[in-house]
Amino acid sequence: MMKDSQDIETATTAVGTFRSSAQPDNKTRRYDRQLRLWAASGQNALESARVLVVSASATSTSILKNLVLPGIGHFTILDSEIVSQEDAGNNFFLEGPDSVGKSRAHEAVRLLRELNESVEGIADTSDLADRLTDSSYLASFSLIIAHNLSANLLDALSKLLWSDPSLPPLIIVHSAGFLAEFFIQIHEHTIIDSHTDAAPSLRIDKPFPALLNHAQSLDFDAMDDTDHGHIPYVLILVRALNSWKATHDGQTPKSYAERVEFKKAIIGMKKKADEENFDEAVAQAYRAWTETKVPSDIEALFSDTVLDTLDPVSPPFFHLLAALKTFASQPPYILPLTSTLPDMKADTNSYVHLQKLYKARAEEEKAQFTAILKQSGVLLDPVMVDEFVRNAHGLKIVRGRRWDILGENSETFGKLLLSKETRKETATHLALRALSRLLVKNPNTQEPTKEQLVAYIQNILPDHVELPEEVGVMVGEVARTPTADLPNTAAFLGGLVAQEAIKVITKQYVPVKGVCVVDLIGSWTGILEA
Amino acid sequence: MNENEQTRFIDWPGRYYHIDQVLNKPGPRTDENFNAGDAVKDFLRNQCKILVIGAGGLGCEILADLALTGFKDIHVIDMDTIDISNLNRQFLFRQKDVGKSKAIVAAEFVMKRVPGVKVTPYFGKIQDKDESYYMQFHIIICGLDSVEARRWINATLVNMVDEENPESLKPLIDGGTEGFRGQARVILPTVTSCYECSLDLLSKPTAFPICTIANTPRLPEHCIEWASVLEWPHTQGDKKMDTDDPEHIGWLYDTALARAKEFEIEGVTWSLTQGVVKNIIPAIASTNAIIAASCCNEAFKIATSSSSYLDNYFMYIGTDGVYSYTFKHEQREDCPVCGGRSVLFEVDKEWTVNDLIDALLERPDIQVKKPSLAAIRKDGSTVNMYLQGPKSLEEATRPNLEKKVSDFVGDGEGIIVTATSLPLSLDLVIKYI
Repeated sequence: MMKDSQDIETATTAVGTFRSSAQPDNKTRRYDRQLRLWAASGQNALESARVLVVSASATSTSILKNLVLPGIGHFTILDSEIVSQEDAGNNFFLEGPDSVGKSRAHEAVRLLRELNESVEGIADTSDLADRLTDSSYLASFSLIIAHNLSANLLDALSKLLWSDPSLPPLIIVHSAGFLAEFFIQIHEHTIIDSHTDAAPSLRIDKPFPALLNHAQSLDFDAMDDTDHGHIPYVLILVRALNSWKATHDGQTPKSYAERVEFKKAIIGMKKKADEENFDEAVAQAYRAWTETKVPSDIEALFSDTVLDTLDPVSPPFFHLLAALKTFASQPPYILPLTSTLPDMKADTNSYVHLQKLYKARAEEEKAQFTAILKQSGVLLDPVMVDEFVRNAHGLKIVRGRRWDILGENSETFGKLLLSKETRKETATHLALRALSRLLVKNPNTQEPTKEQLVAYIQNILPDHVELPEEVGVMVGEVARTPTADLPNTAAFLGGLVAQEAIKVITKQYVPVKGVCVVDLIGSWTGILEA
Repeated sequence: MNENEQTRFIDWPGRYYHIDQVLNKPGPRTDENFNAGDAVKDFLRNQCKILVIGAGGLGCEILADLALTGFKDIHVIDMDTIDISNLNRQFLFRQKDVGKSKAIVAAEFVMKRVPGVKVTPYFGKIQDKDESYYMQFHIIICGLDSVEARRWINATLVNMVDEENPESLKPLIDGGTEGFRGQARVILPTVTSCYECSLDLLSKPTAFPICTIANTPRLPEHCIEWASVLEWPHTQGDKKMDTDDPEHIGWLYDTALARAKEFEIEGVTWSLTQGVVKNIIPAIASTNAIIAASCCNEAFKIATSSSSYLDNYFMYIGTDGVYSYTFKHEQREDCPVCGGRSVLFEVDKEWTVNDLIDALLERPDIQVKKPSLAAIRKDGSTVNMYLQGPKSLEEATRPNLEKKVSDFVGDGEGIIVTATSLPLSLDLVIKYI
């Protein structure tokens, strides 16, 4: 035990000293392909995470496999069952007949641990019902995942975890045959690095003084052909826009005709017809009339209620957000500059010079931001502040909902079922829901009939709702395979659920909202939101 | 013990409890040809022969999934050996396996873990095998990272289709991933859209112009390309660069770093150097699991007819929530591999044969690297315009590169384009503009 934790610590230090200037160590080499996605910060978060998985089913071990491989810190499998002959046939983390009769949790933990020596794994053979009385046990994990938990235990677990926001998030996974669904029950999830596709503004329309001065100071006409053909498009646009504004009451090109004229003016600045940098400026001309302002989804975060009740123990994210709100409430009412300059046709000197201007300005604005933060009396890790400022245009707050909130309103179900866009998703969800409830009611009859399932569904829907054909199809599927944990479905869910767990743990990328529904006969996935 | 007894011994009671729920009876979306019960189980477990191409990120997952679903005669081809950077996702390999054949280690692991499954590895290239080899399989699944290899197997399987012999049509299931994205597709050669039909869906690889690399570097990538493309051949002569050799990467890194310092460019790192020269694509276990499971699930449904299968493209993006898109990619009538129709190709009257070759290289829907050209005249006669090989013919036709296209074909006449690396031939109909 001791030795394992030491290994983890040494290993973590290795990523901490992730050397960019020399050949990487073994650990960095092992994780190279994922570090290129979530970097050392994401990796450190994974290695600090403790995940509890309830049951060692084929689906559960498939999920865990995809968390152990990338190097999660710790996992516990909670499962009191003994490996049956049925289990041994569909679970890659059991050794066929050799595992039959042994503890399912112990066998799965042993085989999963072989995948990655730096991961700690524990088998817990207690009953979940007993563990439910011990919320400090549950609180020791950062994430809990439950597959095909019986409906009454799931109700108890999900209610308990929801009752206290400091308790870990829960991922609920259901599957039968080719159909499946999962849901992330999470109170609040803040994301600094969402890896958004949105590009930050280059401030063409609101150039900072050094950028404007530089653009205006260049003597385009005096340049030789080579230099003229390598003026970065950013400078061409700033200058062209400045001239335009001078003759248009300080306005940017607004109408289509004006925009065409603006582009013509840029082409008119060419010395030779084949100057690619001016062609780039034309292609990027939209940047001149796209107003640099706080994006609406970031603006929306400024009215988040947490900001009204901010206190020293509030999570750092909200202190940073409050500082950002103050920053953006001052002229020129924009987000701090990001120093990333895209590549463009330019010679080395003019590009590097421009890059330095952006960098210097970004540092200045970051200093302003830090000063605001300081004024409010908050001290935060400069690395975090830097990351926040760099990603200010992609911030996200996810406010989740309680499991089964859908099920409490039959009208909502009715509406979702009747809408063409959500019909098959709702039908699949209802079929799986009916199955899990009926399996509890009659634990001895493993196979609820189609009629029983349909009757259950009809019963939870408003009277006026006529069941569409899709319900019959999905009910037919679950009635055919009520207790089948198919290896391919397990592997598919194993990938999807682990992917979402990684997003929740690293706080990078954006986890799914609503119920994610999977149909592996139609080969589609869909989202169901109330 | 005869083979049947052996199978009975291995198939312990309850082994297929989960799978058999699907195989014992039809569901609402089951094909009418479904032969529920013993017949379908016998085919799946005792007769069906399946080939997996690639034993890497997708391949490891595919082998495990197939074995668990009951395929018992699995073959796998891979020419690679195991590297430490594979271990974050290729879960059949351990540290001690580094340097060994992926196909062999993967096959041994699956046979040990799933009793009674026979996995036959081949440590080599898919091009080593001919049609008679591919003909023995019922289904072929590809988990490859190379576009060229996919094009080769796709074209080979399309060419194998013989209308007289239904057995010659081999379903090809192809998976691919990149970071949080991936796709799985089912190709029925000549019947559905093939891999070549969708070449234009591929994103263009980033290429840096030589003049930027040589004269106006701006990004760290430009410095790295300078080191590998220009400085290596310049200073190392004929020595072949091995991007798996840390010393070579080290040299490239030092060289790129020195250039970056000279130009005040920031950001050259070891990791970036390796990423650029090896064209590294980020890869994680979870995405591979999703795509491999899709592929195997389609293989299972096709092999058993137990449910309808994918027609024909599944795309997944996991960066922002769970997004997927299932659609039917249409067959291209002018596909150089499976389409019957020729491509109308516009040619400038002044173009030389060399210009035509350059134009062909530019086309995203064609993408031939080293095309050979032969003119087909209206009277049916053919003339070699330019041949990449053999050497004597290359030399004989080389002077033609400078001649005008119009010296060989008139308006409305044809040119056949063939490629040395791919079993395809493309018919162009020339239109002068």
